[in-house]
Amino acid sequence: MVVAMGLEQMDQYAPVLMMALVAIAASGGMLAASVIAGKRGHRPAIKDTAYECGMIPIGSNSARFAVKFYLVAMLFILFDIETVFLYPWAVVYKDMLTTNASLILGGMISFMAILAVGFAYILKKGALNWRE
Amino acid sequence: MPARRADLARGFTQGLSFLCLALVLGISGAFVPNGGLQAIERHAWISALGAEYFLGIDGLGLVSILLTAIITPFALFAWRPPEAGAKIYYALFLALESGLFGAFTAFNFFHWFFFWELSLIPAFFLIKLWGGPQRARASMQFFVYTLFGSVALLLAFQVIFLATGTFDFIRLAELGRTGALTRALTTKLGIGEIAAQTMPLLAFLGVFLGLAVKVPLGPFHAWLPPAYAEAPASVSMMLTGVMSKMGVYGFLRILLPLFPDQLRQWQTPLLCLAIGTIVFSAWTAMAQKDLKRIIAYSSINHLGYCLLAVFVVVQAEGAAEHKQAALDGAIFQMFNHGLSASALFCFVGWLEQRGHGLRGLDDFGGLRKIAPVFTGLMGIALFSSLGLPGLNGFIGEFLIFKGVLALQGWAAALSAFGLLLTALFLLTILQRVFSGPLPDKWAKLPDLTTAERWIAAPIIALMFVIGVYPQVLMGIINPTVGFWVTTMP
Amino acid sequence: MNYGELLKLLAPESILALTLLLVLGADATFLSGRAPGLRRAVAASLTVAGCMGAIYWIFFFPIHGHLFSGVLVVDPLTQVTKQVLLLLTAATALLTLETAFTPHVGEYFGLQLLATLGFLFMVSSEDILTIFVALELASLSLYMLASFAKGNLASAEAGLKYFLYGGLASAFLLFGFSLLYGLTGETLLAKIAAKITTTPRDPLLVVAISMVLTGLGFKIAAVPFQLWAPDVYEGAPTPSAALIASGSKLASFFLLEKMMTIGLSSAVGSGAFHALAAGWVPMLAMLAGLSLIVGNLTALAQTSVKRLLAYSAIAHAGYALLGVIANSSQGFVALLFYVMTYGFTVLGAFGVVAVVERQTGSDRLEAFAGLSRRSPVLAGVLFVCLLSLAGIPPLAGFFGKFYLFAAILRAGAPSLGILWLVILAIALSAVSLFYYLQVLKQAFVREAPLELPFSVKPSTQLVLILLALCVILFGCAPDLLVSKLLLALKAAAPGLVF
Repeated sequence: MVVAMGLEQMDQYAPVLMMALVAIAASGGMLAASVIAGKRGHRPAIKDTAYECGMIPIGSNSARFAVKFYLVAMLFILFDIETVFLYPWAVVYKDMLTTNASLILGGMISFMAILAVGFAYILKKGALNWRE
Repeated sequence: MPARRADLARGFTQGLSFLCLALVLGISGAFVPNGGLQAIERHAWISALGAEYFLGIDGLGLVSILLTAIITPFALFAWRPPEAGAKIYYALFLALESGLFGAFTAFNFFHWFFFWELSLIPAFFLIKLWGGPQRARASMQFFVYTLFGSVALLLAFQVIFLATGTFDFIRLAELGRTGALTRALTTKLGIGEIAAQTMPLLAFLGVFLGLAVKVPLGPFHAWLPPAYAEAPASVSMMLTGVMSKMGVYGFLRILLPLFPDQLRQWQTPLLCLAIGTIVFSAWTAMAQKDLKRIIAYSSINHLGYCLLAVFVVVQAEGAAEHKQAALDGAIFQMFNHGLSASALFCFVGWLEQRGHGLRGLDDFGGLRKIAPVFTGLMGIALFSSLGLPGLNGFIGEFLIFKGVLALQGWAAALSAFGLLLTALFLLTILQRVFSGPLPDKWAKLPDLTTAERWIAAPIIALMFVIGVYPQVLMGIINPTVGFWVTTMP
Repeated sequence: MNYGELLKLLAPESILALTLLLVLGADATFLSGRAPGLRRAVAASLTVAGCMGAIYWIFFFPIHGHLFSGVLVVDPLTQVTKQVLLLLTAATALLTLETAFTPHVGEYFGLQLLATLGFLFMVSSEDILTIFVALELASLSLYMLASFAKGNLASAEAGLKYFLYGGLASAFLLFGFSLLYGLTGETLLAKIAAKITTTPRDPLLVVAISMVLTGLGFKIAAVPFQLWAPDVYEGAPTPSAALIASGSKLASFFLLEKMMTIGLSSAVGSGAFHALAAGWVPMLAMLAGLSLIVGNLTALAQTSVKRLLAYSAIAHAGYALLGVIANSSQGFVALLFYVMTYGFTVLGAFGVVAVVERQTGSDRLEAFAGLSRRSPVLAGVLFVCLLSLAGIPPLAGFFGKFYLFAAILRAGAPSLGILWLVILAIALSAVSLFYYLQVLKQAFVREAPLELPFSVKPSTQLVLILLALCVILFGCAPDLLVSKLLLALKAAAPGLVF
């Protein structure tokens, strides 16, 4: 039965397979065509620089950021994602309130409590403190 | 004060070993020689595996633990380790003794194997830490060989357990006697790649290998001469006096009752192996120059007689009385060889101390003039070892040959060469070391001290007692062997 | 199911989570700025108190139940396992007191607790979604624990290696899970098993199994997924390595066993010689054989004791896999007994290594010279632990191996085809003795140039002695644990007694 199901599912993959084949053929074909039909000649070193014309860049190309940026970015993502959990909760809240109030309320209250402790912790640790 | 503490450790250990001796003597006093199992202690241990804590003694077990209890204090007195690290030495010695006691009294494979392995570790460390210059190599060889044997044993018994569901030696012996063990191994495990007939044979070979390495039976003996030669005197005494008996014990307790059919089927090759061991070890001993190695090879030789007896009695034909004689002799030989070989190692150890590390056959000469007591006592031990009537060694060999001659005359005739050669090289020791001209450098070699005389005296006395009045042991051994012979298929 | 019941089922986990918050909070508020020694002592005692509280709760308020038909399983077997896991964490926390590598005390103990929380959920999950979440919770905490000694390059390397390999392994695992879901449309292990019923194997199923095994093989450090282990064991702070070697192993093996015997119970296959059949048994047999060979033989050449323990851990993963391969209730119990006692043993060994490393600055073999005179207690514990790892009676390792061999042979009874693996395992256990003896030789025979006695904290001594006593006790009377596990298994899964 699984075999049957597996095969059905494999059938569903057939377009994907064809797509992949087309993609490989197209990219491979372009490469091959440029090798075959392209003009041959020597490549001066300037062809390999970042800008063939214009200023030659000076110094490192990666600017240094204060580590605080990363910290804030991470904290933002963390709390952002935690906020996302509130949406599905809010959607089922009304229905579940009648059937299983303790679960829907208790779950979110403990979740928020842990979040609050985490928030207090980062405040206490000075993670959001920009002076100093 | 390390010296004081080392003394304390020694005193404590010696006291404990005497306590053990007293307890074992108490047990033998309460022993009723009726051939059955006594002093049974039995508790559930690991129910999931059928492993039980199952202790008991019969004649064979009693003789073995008597030997252990006698040799341990003897060895403890014979040699003292340097003070640094003496505590560990004594701890290991006690661990070794407890391993031996455990292995000789266990009647459940798990319980028995536990102690069998347990005795291996202290022996390894005793050789490795206190041995001679080649100790690293010798201990490693000893370890690798015996561990290899243990692996074979363990595998074989796992297979046996699989087929029968029991680790109990008594029940397994019952199954072996009726042939049910072979049937179970064939029918339950013979399906598939391993053909039906080979399964019992493989189990038999596993057990045989494990035990043969321990005794040792040629060609599995290569570990023994270096181990005995490199170990300090006391450890050589324990190794040859008691540990090698674990192998013979295993042959009598496990192989003989469990695999009568396989033993019978392979009797002739096995007899050849035993005879080969007897003759070639004696022959090799002749070529040795190191006294410890000579005695080591003579140990192989003497235990070969025990195995000769075991392999002879497996045949169906032949009168029960001859089988009884051979097996009685084998157990006797076990005990006697324990006494005489450990006494010999003890004397060689003392000689080595006096000779500043020399122990070659040709390093000495004429010692009887300056060390008459040494000569006399070691002479008695040598004569006991070569089986002079009136001393203990004679009884065992006589009984074995009496039985073997009647059952398989050719085997007795061939192994008689071994007897002859043994007499030759043992007398050579007497001649080269104790008679002849005395080299100048040994002119001041001291005789045995009073303490040493007192240490050796009980063992020498015991040799005479058993030689003249063998009934002390015979009374214990005979009923057990009688029970085996009557129940033998 | 109301929230009160859920809390009751999850009481040990909740206690642990509260402890975690307490440890972090205490360290960030009224302990901030105090002496690091005091902070460590408070954090460790809170951690131990939390673990003990959870153990106490499990012991005195036994409760069983299934949440959402198996998303969360609380039965006698998981509870016993959780108790052992909590014990291991408590011991690790006490051993952490020996070290002083980080000023972030609260965070370090907090992460230990978080990892343990992950272990507890790994044990309780029978649904591939929660399994994955629990596994990630534990893994992420362990990555951080491994790289916690910030000033130490080796620790950073260890953390990064562990993280990269671990991330890859998680990806494989997730892909395997998604294939399983795709094949069956189910996430519960039991339901997945019910849907996989065909005998000619779907090739996709084989791919799924091998993906899952790649992911879990990484967690248990089986060859060929073991490359991270030596570097992590050597570079990570010693308590972190100890937790990775003990608690993480136990939880991962429990998970692996459940995954295989429940989730893939109809894709067993056969690993018999000459009669290989597709399924997870032959794959695991391959992993076990390779782990035994590579682990034991590579360990022979090590000069760093932590690396030696790492390779021996790889070898021990091979032994433990025998219990999974047995695919029987005896095998399950043998596996649990082995991994649990292994946890105690390896913690003891790591505890000794931690002290030696703190006092001599090195974990090389030479650093152990003269240990028996510098600290007899440490030397004694090391003696017991290493000999148990080598499988010498009367220690727990001996019985553990004996039971594993018996279980796997009994399970393969009719044909004995798996005998090749048992022979390999027994032969290599003889080899293993050699390298353990190298360490013991240093400790007991060699003399150190400067034989100053080691100072060992009383708490460390107490923990190490207790661990060594456990190893001896479970070696002499294994029935204490085995019968308990067997009963628990029977009560937990009457259908699982094969």
